[in-house]
Amino acid sequence: MEMVVVAPPAPGRLENLKRRFFATPLQALLSLISLAIMAFIVWKLLDWAVFSAVFTTSGGPEACQAAAGACWSVIAARWRIILFGLYPFEEQWRSALACVAVVVMTALSCIPAFWTGRRIALVWGAGTTLYYLLMKGGVLGLLYVGEEAWGGLALTLFIFITTCLIGFPLAICLALLRRSELPWISRTTGIVIDGVRSLPLISILFTFAIVLPFALPQWLVGDKLYRVIFGSALFFSAYQAEIVRGGMQGVPAGQEEAAMALGMSYWQRIGRILLPQAMRNALPATINQFVISFKETSLVVIVGFFEILASGNAAYGTGEWRFAYVEVYAFIAFIYFVFVFSLSRYGAFLERRMAVGER
Amino acid sequence: MTANSTKPHRPAVRLENLDKYYGTFHALRKVNLSVERGERIVVCGPSGSGKSTMIRCINRLEQHNGGKITVLGTELNDDVANIEGIRREVGMVFQHFNLFPHMTVMENCMIAPMIVRKRPRAEAEATARQYLQKVRIPEQAMKFPGQLSGGQQQRVAIARALCMRPQVMLFDEPTSALDPEMISEVLDVMVTLASEGMTMICVTHEMGFARRVADRVIFMDGGEIVEEAPPEEFFTASRNERTRQFLSQVLGH
Repeated sequence: MEMVVVAPPAPGRLENLKRRFFATPLQALLSLISLAIMAFIVWKLLDWAVFSAVFTTSGGPEACQAAAGACWSVIAARWRIILFGLYPFEEQWRSALACVAVVVMTALSCIPAFWTGRRIALVWGAGTTLYYLLMKGGVLGLLYVGEEAWGGLALTLFIFITTCLIGFPLAICLALLRRSELPWISRTTGIVIDGVRSLPLISILFTFAIVLPFALPQWLVGDKLYRVIFGSALFFSAYQAEIVRGGMQGVPAGQEEAAMALGMSYWQRIGRILLPQAMRNALPATINQFVISFKETSLVVIVGFFEILASGNAAYGTGEWRFAYVEVYAFIAFIYFVFVFSLSRYGAFLERRMAVGER
Repeated sequence: MTANSTKPHRPAVRLENLDKYYGTFHALRKVNLSVERGERIVVCGPSGSGKSTMIRCINRLEQHNGGKITVLGTELNDDVANIEGIRREVGMVFQHFNLFPHMTVMENCMIAPMIVRKRPRAEAEATARQYLQKVRIPEQAMKFPGQLSGGQQQRVAIARALCMRPQVMLFDEPTSALDPEMISEVLDVMVTLASEGMTMICVTHEMGFARRVADRVIFMDGGEIVEEAPPEEFFTASRNERTRQFLSQVLGH
């Protein structure tokens, strides 16, 4: 007779629940109390957000003030200001299309099939050009709209995407310079990185927006928006450079030696051997940095740009919707959540994908 | 005979008065060595004697501070193109394999022929298959290095170096990091390679291997070549006290 060893059956779901939450009378009591509190909160929230809320604009602000729940009519009435800011009303479809363009561009560049130099350059080139043409106009019969009138979600997305597009390559350059064998290069880079990191973002934005025009020749000044984006990219790159450098330190020295011994050039070693492994090491911290940067775009309001949060302020701040600020902020928080949460999920997907073949 | 004498004599690798310092530590002291084409050299010696440093100077993984290195008739200098040109012709196998963990076995073998030698993908793939066959692991081609045993990884590393079709192979303690039962599978591949006429310089403590394939065994100590001799003479009739002491430690039990 052969003995067959079988693992004890896993407890059923109900059994599991009982073991975890109702093992002793005291535990059962605590579980019930917690459950009741949670149910109460959920009920209150639902009641406020759905059952007692006002959704239509037909009654105007007065209908809202009479109701006990949320006043979503403010969103219905003012969503255009929140999403598009001061952009001319008649032209706001362009702003919407521009948002779609950058979101599609980002989504495409997240797909592994697009990760070749030519494809990614094509996607980014097309995406940013399309955004710029749509927003700025002045060609193809589109009305000219200056950067000072851009706003809302369209502006937030643009600042975030361009900050990353400029800041990320800059970060890799800084990280490579910092590990240079020539001490004067690595030390200078170190001072630049530490210098930028020791300044608050607000002061950098302020300097680039207000002070820089006095110091630069006229032809170099450019629009305030682009100076602010450059400042924000510089700030991003200083942090990201250290993240990339940390990732590089995690790659064993033998990797570069093996690549050298095969006759690969410096850029081949960096591009094919060092960076792919360094970025894998640096991925969690990198996603973190992207998330922080997305939320930090709201700071541009101090130099006079109406990104989504500032546009939200404008949406309830004038006249009859003054009381409905909670709903406006909830709406904006929801938009932030959608973008940041997708970013985090994408990061998790990348980590799983890169874990293939890990030691 | 006359044809031979008119042709200038060009050894595969020639080291002349090679000096190397790490700070104030004198790692190589006026080392002279000439390796003919097709010759198999085994370098042994106690740790810190400069064996690895010497072969790492040949493909400029270490920069020498004095003397002259000539590889396949070209003198190694500071020019990047010169260095990369020599590295293309000199394959190297490392103690810790150093396979690229983010690429499959196949990609490990294909990348250098494709981006360094600019061979088309199909050709690189055929070459890779040929050499994976030769090191007896064609079935692992689509795996990642992390999924292989140490012995398998080292054989892939040998195949990767061979895919560049080098004229000289350097082995830097290729079996020192392996579990005992995996050493022979790697040595077998090296023996095959030697029997096909590859020029090989092997730093190793595998004295059985040295006896079987080496044309010359070189013993280093304190940054100097203390003794060089054909294996039978080296193992049985060594004149040098330090060599005899080392051999008794390596072979003693």
